[in-house]
Amino acid sequence: MKLIISNISGIPIYEQIKQQVKSAIMSGDLQKDETLPSLRTLAKELKISVLTVTRAYTELEQEGFVKNIQGRGCFVLGQGSELLREQLICKIENNLSEAINAARVANLSEEELHHLLSILMEEKTDE
Amino acid sequence: MNNYLEVRNLSKSFEGFRLHDITFTLPKGYIMGLVGPNGSGKTTTIKLILNMLKRTSGEVKILGFDNIANEQEAKRNLGVVFDSNYFSDEWKISQVEKSVSAFYENWNKQKFSEILKRFHIQPSKKVKELSKGMQMKLMLACAFSYDAKLLILDEPTSGLDPVSRDGLLHILSEYIEDGEHSVLFSTHITGDLERAADYITYISYGELFFSGGKDEFIDSFRIVKGGCEELSVDLNKKIFGIRNFSTGFEALVKTEDLKQFAHLNVEPATIDDIVVFTSKRGGQYE
Amino acid sequence: MSNIWKSAKLDFSLIKPYVKTICFTMVLPVIFAAINRSLLTGISFAMCFIAMTTGYTFSITEKNSMERLYGILPIRKSDMVIGRYIFIIIMGFTALIFSLITHPVILTILGESINIFDYISAAVIGIFLFALYTVFQLPGYYKLGSIKGRVFMYIPVAGFLMTLLLITKIPVGENKLLFTVINSPVLLMLLAIIFVIAMYVVSISASIKILKNKEM
Repeated sequence: MKLIISNISGIPIYEQIKQQVKSAIMSGDLQKDETLPSLRTLAKELKISVLTVTRAYTELEQEGFVKNIQGRGCFVLGQGSELLREQLICKIENNLSEAINAARVANLSEEELHHLLSILMEEKTDE
Repeated sequence: MNNYLEVRNLSKSFEGFRLHDITFTLPKGYIMGLVGPNGSGKTTTIKLILNMLKRTSGEVKILGFDNIANEQEAKRNLGVVFDSNYFSDEWKISQVEKSVSAFYENWNKQKFSEILKRFHIQPSKKVKELSKGMQMKLMLACAFSYDAKLLILDEPTSGLDPVSRDGLLHILSEYIEDGEHSVLFSTHITGDLERAADYITYISYGELFFSGGKDEFIDSFRIVKGGCEELSVDLNKKIFGIRNFSTGFEALVKTEDLKQFAHLNVEPATIDDIVVFTSKRGGQYE
Repeated sequence: MSNIWKSAKLDFSLIKPYVKTICFTMVLPVIFAAINRSLLTGISFAMCFIAMTTGYTFSITEKNSMERLYGILPIRKSDMVIGRYIFIIIMGFTALIFSLITHPVILTILGESINIFDYISAAVIGIFLFALYTVFQLPGYYKLGSIKGRVFMYIPVAGFLMTLLLITKIPVGENKLLFTVINSPVLLMLLAIIFVIAMYVVSISASIKILKNKEM
């Protein structure tokens, strides 16, 4: 698994670790039952605080991606990808309802909204 | 024992300086940075911990032992690195081992020579022939040879080049990797601590400003920037430190007060920012 | 005990690079003894010289800021102090033995005869003088350090000059008590040794007290 830390991104280091572990699980880079690098080893190798890694791992556990077993390590849970998908769908729903609210204010019809979405989708696929 | 170092209500009065009511705890397995500008009391704190200065009041426990009543036991598993070496200039490295090893029951000769090799220190050299960075590594090599559980470093990076500083941080993160060793690291070069430290104890003008998790410390402050006219009297009250210039200002605020500054440009703060801004009094650098 | 011994050994390792210089200073008293044709003055001179080198340990530690090393070693301050006294006493004793061997040899070659009384009294006075010098020097060095306490280096010189003066001035024959003591080597030795031990006990406790209250 690739894990790199940026000092200038402005994103907290624990958040960067979380994001990269999540996307590794998503892409299948990290399979079910695989272990994450040991907390202290990772801290040493990335030259970051042990507490920062602890926070990232604990939050990943709380969100249901990994399971921390004392003395044995941090294991990837199987349903990681479904969970992540659910989270993403939730995010899409939120953003879409925000778009709908904006459309109402702008007096945009449902048809026009669908049309706008299609155009945007086409633009994205062109990229 | 989970706390390798406990400092409680530590105070010391000198003529013209007072260290007042310092309290902090360093748990086993972590690195703590002791920060503050020069003259804020970092070295005094360390010398009080080592019983090299007599405290006015308070209590210090090193690895569970009182630093005065059980001084010998407290120091048995303690390693210390100062900003310059404390061996005789005329000693050869082998003589350093001979002189110091006798005092430590669990001194490991083989480990010492392995570490010297790793640090590229030749045992036949004299102490005075070593560079500053090498002298620091020699002090570390000694501490590692008797497996010191707690390492105290007083300004170890002052006068070191970036390569040696990076090397030291690597050595320290390796040292605490097994979770059985702790480090107290005093420095005014806070960049060294930005990543590797777990805890921060910040002493300012002889008083404790903060002691706790580093992320928490950095997270609890933000830098806000804006034009001169955007700074109202109300906002001014919430500011910890400010730098005014002709086209605007930069200020340090508590993250919890951020709502009131939402219209300004907000950036995360570094340890340096926090130390610099909170050490200015009346807008002046001291 | 073992920590005291380790501490004495650490002191020796400080002095080690200077051993040659110290040995050289021990040659001068031999010449002095030869010129004066007197074992007693030779020994007094030797003990004065060796006592002048007792500040070496202090000046080397001061020069290298080694109070920080002493500050972190797992050893009691009292053991450190006693270790240093032991080291310095050993130094003095070595110098005395060396002088008690070399001086008589030179004097005999020069045709002087030395009887056992001269020999023993020279030894006892040597011990006594060295003790007298160092019991004042060491607390002084502990209190002021070797730079500010430089003046303590010259205690032996003052003491030596006074001894020379006294040796010629004491009206031995007229004082009955002094006469008995000097003419009874056993009594003389016993008294001197008791006095020496008492002086060291007081001096060591003073030094420990000074070091314990010292801020480094």
